[in-house]
Amino acid sequence: MKKSLLVISMMLVFAIALVGCATTGDLEKVQAQGQQTNAKADQAIKEAQDAKAAAEAATIKAADAATRAENAAKMSEERAKQAEERAKLAEEKAKKADAVFEKSMKK
Amino acid sequence: MTLNRIIDRSLFSHGLRLIVLLIFFASLHGCAVLKTVQVKSYPTPSYPEEKLERNEFSFAKDEDVIGRLAFVRLEKGDTLPDIARHFSLGINAISAANPGVDVWVPEAGGRIMLPLSFILPDAVRKGIVINLASMRLFHFKGGGKLQAVSTYPVGVGTEERPSPMGQMYVARKMYRPTWHVPASIAEDHRKKGDPLPSQIPPGPLNPLGEYALYLSKPTYLMHGTNKPSSIGLRATNGCLRLYPENVKKLYEQTPIHTPVSIVNQPYLIGQRNGVVYMEVHAPMENLETDELGKIYAKLKNIEKKSARTLDWEKVKETLAEARGIPVPLSDIRQGSEKESAEDIEVTHPEKLYGRPEIPEMKMGAWYVLAANLRDEINAERLAAIINHQGPQIPARVLSKNDDSYRVIAGPFNNLGEAKDAIKRLKIDLEVGGVLIESVRD
Repeated sequence: MKKSLLVISMMLVFAIALVGCATTGDLEKVQAQGQQTNAKADQAIKEAQDAKAAAEAATIKAADAATRAENAAKMSEERAKQAEERAKLAEEKAKKADAVFEKSMKK
Repeated sequence: MTLNRIIDRSLFSHGLRLIVLLIFFASLHGCAVLKTVQVKSYPTPSYPEEKLERNEFSFAKDEDVIGRLAFVRLEKGDTLPDIARHFSLGINAISAANPGVDVWVPEAGGRIMLPLSFILPDAVRKGIVINLASMRLFHFKGGGKLQAVSTYPVGVGTEERPSPMGQMYVARKMYRPTWHVPASIAEDHRKKGDPLPSQIPPGPLNPLGEYALYLSKPTYLMHGTNKPSSIGLRATNGCLRLYPENVKKLYEQTPIHTPVSIVNQPYLIGQRNGVVYMEVHAPMENLETDELGKIYAKLKNIEKKSARTLDWEKVKETLAEARGIPVPLSDIRQGSEKESAEDIEVTHPEKLYGRPEIPEMKMGAWYVLAANLRDEINAERLAAIINHQGPQIPARVLSKNDDSYRVIAGPFNNLGEAKDAIKRLKIDLEVGGVLIESVRD
């Protein structure tokens, strides 16, 4: 009887010990998962921050580009206007020169 | 072995096919490139310019259009007055035919139309007929089925002193005439600070040139000029000026009592080989107001009589453009008309007749600084204008390191010549010249 009780209790202790071992492994797993999740979260946050920063930079760049394009458009418009004015002036000068020449051809 | 052969042969045949295909595509590409080149490059002018008829034409009695349009490609340094003179055209005609082209500094390589086709004026084809609107003289000779006509460009009277119109005749002719300065011109010159003597003997200063044909209408002449660039301008006091080379021929071929009819017809209608043409010149201010109405009526009459449909849009366009060239208003049929309507491009003359020569610069000569300009084109234009004065004042452009361009007149042999040039620049061109003293070795 004693022997059987001993065997049973030993088996119980063994079983409990086995259960105890399983819980430690689980804990380690959970801890590892937690660490991984944290790392992933950190990564995600970093990525999100990076993306935000990139988006902000892109917005700034786009705004800059738009301003530059606007300025370029304005400048080219101005240049076209100036070219037109120069052409008009050149034409006027040519006409004036022709008129002076015509006058000089009289007797 | 057999299999190897098959493989080898198949490889060979595949390779051969590939090569053939490649050659085919390459040839296609080659064709495309050639096509592009052909579109971009200009055909070499094949028509010799010296063969292009400028003055002498013949035409059937029932026809009104003579000559043909031609083109020439400009070279660096060409001016429209030089091209005009070489091809016996007035500056008005070449400018109107080529709107937008700079008269003095045209772009080298540009294609210029030579408007050497004319509709004969609506007048009796006998003796001399001058159309003031087109600034062109027609000298009709002979009769019969085929008539001959010589045609020359002219310079005509200004708005204030217009050329007379109507019927007259050649009263007398004179070789190397003396110019008796009319009181009105003497007064004009006195006001400008350039008093003239009462008469100017034959020579380079005589504005009548070497030949004069006096008209029966007193004080009016057909004569040469010492200002050839004025042909095709309204710059005379009512006389009719011709290029020196043209007035010589007219003088030789015109007997005394030849009838002269002076008309003012800016709108000309004519037919050749069954095609109706219209030629429009910028009308002068003293034109009868209903002249345009008359032309429309004439065109409607032609359309009605001949049962031909005229292009009325073309009529409007021709009137608006006023390019002074005959424009077909009805279909150009096959045959000789198609041939005469085809454009020809003539070779550029080796030397332009009458082009002002600019002597080399030399030590010891006197010069005049006519202007110091920032713009090269303006400087080239001024130099060209000075060069085309009559008598010529040689001028050139010298560029400086600071991107400015000096217009220098000269060389002059002595101080007197240089001072005379300064005076002429001031009076005729409103240019204040600065004397550059002669530099000796």
